[in-house]
Amino acid sequence: MEHQRSYIYTPPESDERPAKRQKTDKGHPHSLRRERLQTFREIWAEQETRIQACLKTTLEEADEATQENIVRFVAAAAERDQELRASIPTGLIVAGPSIASHGPYFERLGRQVKESTNSAYLVLTSGESPNLKTLLKNLIKKATSLADDDDDDDLGRTTGPSRNGPRLLDFDLGHLQKWQRSINYRTIVVAIQDSEAFDSHVLSELIDLLHAWLDRLPFVLLFGIATSAESFEDRLSSNALRYLEGEKFDVTQSDEIIEELFSTTIASTDVALRVGPNISRRILDRQKDHVQNVQDFFDGLKYAYMSHFYANLTSIFLRDDLAVKNLPPDVFEAVRNLPSFRRWVGGMLEDGRAQDARNALQSDKYLFDQVTQNVTSGQAILNAISGAALVLTRLRQSLQISQKVPLSSIWIKAASGEMLNSPMLREMMLSVKRMSSDKFLQLLGSLQDLEQTYFPIDLDSYQSKLDVMISENDGAVLKTQHDVRNDTLRTTVVAQKVLLSKHKAALSEQDKAYSELVAQFQDELDQYFNTTFIDPKELFLIEILMYDLKSPHTEVFQPKPRFAVERALAAPHDYLGCECCSGEGTRDGEAALFSTQPATAILYQLYVESGSVINAADLWSAFNAMAGGEEEDDESKTMALFQRALAELRYLGLVKPSRKKTDHVAKMMWKGL
Amino acid sequence: MLPDEILEQLNAEFPCREFQLRQLAALYSPQLPSPSLLVAHGLTATGKSSIIKLYLSLSGLAHAVVSSRECITGRHLLERTTSSCLDALDEHYDETNDRRPYVRTENISALAVNLAKMLEGREKFVLVLDGIDRQREMPHTLLPALGRFGELIPNLSIILITTLAQNLALHKPGVPHLYFPPYPRAAVVEILSLNPPKIFLEPPSLDLYPDYTTDVAAEDDAWLWNRFLGAVWESLSKHTGRDLVSFRNTSMRIWRDFVKPVVDGTFGTRDFSRLMVNRKHLFQIDDAVLDRLITSSSTTTQTNGVISVNSSRAAVKRNTIQHSLPYYTTHLLIAAYLASYNPSRTDTTYFMKHTDKRKNKRKVRTDAGVSKSKHRRISRHLLTPSPFPLDRLLAIFRSLLEGPVPQLADLGTQIATLTSLRLLVRVGGVGTGDALDAGAKWRVGFGWEWVRGLGRGVGIEVGEYLVGGVDG
Ligand SMILES: Nc1ncnc2c1ncn2[C@@H]1O[C@H](COP(=O)(O)OP(=O)(O)OP(=O)(O)O)[C@@H](O)[C@H]1O
Ligand SMILES: [Mg+2]
Repeated sequence: MEHQRSYIYTPPESDERPAKRQKTDKGHPHSLRRERLQTFREIWAEQETRIQACLKTTLEEADEATQENIVRFVAAAAERDQELRASIPTGLIVAGPSIASHGPYFERLGRQVKESTNSAYLVLTSGESPNLKTLLKNLIKKATSLADDDDDDDLGRTTGPSRNGPRLLDFDLGHLQKWQRSINYRTIVVAIQDSEAFDSHVLSELIDLLHAWLDRLPFVLLFGIATSAESFEDRLSSNALRYLEGEKFDVTQSDEIIEELFSTTIASTDVALRVGPNISRRILDRQKDHVQNVQDFFDGLKYAYMSHFYANLTSIFLRDDLAVKNLPPDVFEAVRNLPSFRRWVGGMLEDGRAQDARNALQSDKYLFDQVTQNVTSGQAILNAISGAALVLTRLRQSLQISQKVPLSSIWIKAASGEMLNSPMLREMMLSVKRMSSDKFLQLLGSLQDLEQTYFPIDLDSYQSKLDVMISENDGAVLKTQHDVRNDTLRTTVVAQKVLLSKHKAALSEQDKAYSELVAQFQDELDQYFNTTFIDPKELFLIEILMYDLKSPHTEVFQPKPRFAVERALAAPHDYLGCECCSGEGTRDGEAALFSTQPATAILYQLYVESGSVINAADLWSAFNAMAGGEEEDDESKTMALFQRALAELRYLGLVKPSRKKTDHVAKMMWKGL
Repeated sequence: MLPDEILEQLNAEFPCREFQLRQLAALYSPQLPSPSLLVAHGLTATGKSSIIKLYLSLSGLAHAVVSSRECITGRHLLERTTSSCLDALDEHYDETNDRRPYVRTENISALAVNLAKMLEGREKFVLVLDGIDRQREMPHTLLPALGRFGELIPNLSIILITTLAQNLALHKPGVPHLYFPPYPRAAVVEILSLNPPKIFLEPPSLDLYPDYTTDVAAEDDAWLWNRFLGAVWESLSKHTGRDLVSFRNTSMRIWRDFVKPVVDGTFGTRDFSRLMVNRKHLFQIDDAVLDRLITSSSTTTQTNGVISVNSSRAAVKRNTIQHSLPYYTTHLLIAAYLASYNPSRTDTTYFMKHTDKRKNKRKVRTDAGVSKSKHRRISRHLLTPSPFPLDRLLAIFRSLLEGPVPQLADLGTQIATLTSLRLLVRVGGVGTGDALDAGAKWRVGFGWEWVRGLGRGVGIEVGEYLVGGVDG
């Protein structure tokens, strides 16, 4: 094979196509597709506006402080005297490790800078700056094209040798000087968007050059930094550092933004379709473990919505303008096949409502009414859970419970039905029981804006009662009987032993009354949580209301290419599903070797067992023993198979000819990494 | 201006350079002939550029200065030289030259032709090439050719400014040199004493202190600054950063901290010795001599206008927020560091999962991979990182983590991202389009301090996994 450029592969004839698994269900997977698509668009549009609004406010809020500082910094640089400029004013913008968000950030920053100061703003990225010359060309191009907006005679400006005299080379900053002379900006801001990705030598040279021109061109440098200002500094030459004079600006981290997004989308108290706790957890974990990126969060959520409407016929019930007569019968069949429908009907039978059960099974009209009703009520229940999660988060905050748990984790716990009886809730209720009047006031305050939504407790009446009590107590802090601070610890030394004994301080009248008020509040709160934190999985029609399927979400967002290749080679049966590859050995999960497996798979398994350099002859004899036939002339065929298999392994990047030892191949990849 | 007046002014502005100035005045006067080539050399910040530039502009000679710092290539230098000379002629003779014949200066002979053309029939012209030793992409022939320009163009004098005279390959004997020696202590102190900074940024109100006039203040400033300079030189700059600019920077960095008790009113302006005792710490730490981008004083003054006592740069460093990296990214980086600094044959001892992991750490720290000779060992983390293949990184990564980690594509994405951030540096295999080519190798692009911090963030003491430990 080595001597041929190519060879013609003639596949063995006769064989029929391997039987494909065919979809057997008779339902129309595309039934009502257009309507579902429509519903998806409408419901997603709501989420999308919410996300955009949230992004706008959170990002802007987050940006605002830093961007204001940066703008002020640039403005201050503009004020400096031309002559006194010994070093380039430099802003180090630590924008965090999610480099995908740096681009938009610098765009927003540029708008701000141009709006509020009379500056030119030029962004450079590493991609367009492989060396100093190209970098300068780009810089000049960007600057002078800014001016192009209002004058179009760029013929005289650019590189072509003008007949009038010596020309400027196209990386000569003299171009900028000319341009600056005509426009006269106060400062020229050069923003290096992804500083780490720049060659540090190029950066140092750039700084040196800009510094040399500083007496003619009022430069300000901004560096976007993903890691830390210190490690960036360490990369610059000390000469370059001498030319810079900097200030550091920290940009809000994107995990805070993700948390904010989570609470306005997934944990919102007003959404038609819920994304379930499992997917939510996956989306969040991915953010925490691998990427920090708003766009990924957005994509994950959107994909979940799409999957729901694409694969689930019953999702059509999320529309609110439905009529029975427009719905094909298989929609109702689909509903009747839902596990939660079965539970529901089972419940009816247990209650002795046989007629209702019959109706549900037989009458589409009856079922339609029930489903539409239950979808609405189910949405309300799920919204209430989100509301309660929010209440719980606020309570924890205002009680200053030390372990900080973000809303996202609380919500996930609640949505998986694990909140009731959880230590977290218990601990919180205990703190409520013990809270003093100042905490109580704070707590009421923090819940104020929730009142109208899903929160049945009448806060105002508590507020007024509490106000009265406090004023009767001359404004002093009231305590409950459970407050530990009412217990004084008594230490007595009895026969060399330290005895600690608790002593209950006597409660004043006011404190008693206050204790009762707190107890009442706690009861109501307990009641509220007990009725709200139900397990959503038990809900009728939860399959319509909530999307929480692991597949295909994981396959799409977290594919495992290497694992897939390794598995295909080690256990070909998993993919081929054919007789020849499945042996008894595969039972216990361990892959096993069979002579009937594809040659590449056999060779791969031999490969996995060997060390980091493999003798090709040994490999061949092992392969021959495994896959070869009895007769002599089989050997050439086996050899062909062997060579092809080895070539395939090489193509996959698994082996490489070894330079260290002749007749050996080097193992490049280990299984399971 | 008369030559004597010029010299007087120059000597006032640039003290301690009488000799060089006299030489310049003798060599470049409008009346007398000048050498066709002069090499002015001296270490950095010895005043070469400033003095020569100022002398020439005062002398009334036609001259042009081209700075090599601003020229990206040798060709660029030639082009700029032509146009600067034309500019200089325009300005000096107050005329507009026809520039059409000078469209191109592709090479050194074109430059010779151009210069000869434009200087024909004129008076003496001085061309200064500043920092010629640091010219990027300079053709070998440039310097010897410049040396011969005088033979072709009699009215042209060239001054080459360089740091060291030895490495200029002029191939021409008998070129006059003008040496700018580094300033000794007395000189630097004298030069910096010319412009003492203020003690009081806002002068004390005249109502309260009617006799503290601006004159008195200026006198105090000068007195204290002078003494302070001496102290800075003795304790800090003598040992490192002796040149004028470094010394000035160092002094300016700690000046505000130094005079703080005076501004507070704790000490008087002339309590120099008590001030020294009180501010001793400023002269003991080396923060001030380091060139840093973010100066502590700039941050503190920005925040509240008051300079805090605790403005040591180390403290600032500690206070900086580090953006937390994703969990697995952090582990990948730690694994990469270990892969770069541990020899691969020790991996089985450190990272095999067969026993309790904690037993692995440090078990072999004294003898693993280090010869038993009595030579002093250099701690591993001080050496350059060595390259490692991808699978080794992944294997160490997995052994650092407790549970199993799925083989997600996200891991590959992260390695690619870290590579683009240059936290991982790819060596070899660069040609292939595959960012994660199994044949390629990587090195880490960060240091020990940083990785230790990363490790502590996720509860890993990186030093325990490092062969040889880190007690150095
Ligand atoms: N004798 C002096 N008196 C006053 N100021 C001086 C004196 N010598 C140097 N300086 C100042 O020191 C600074 C550095 O000087 P300059 O740039 O001329 O040095 P240089 O020798 O050209 O350095 P380099 O080799 O790095 O180019 C300038 O701000 C200059 O004003
Ligand atoms: Mg100089």
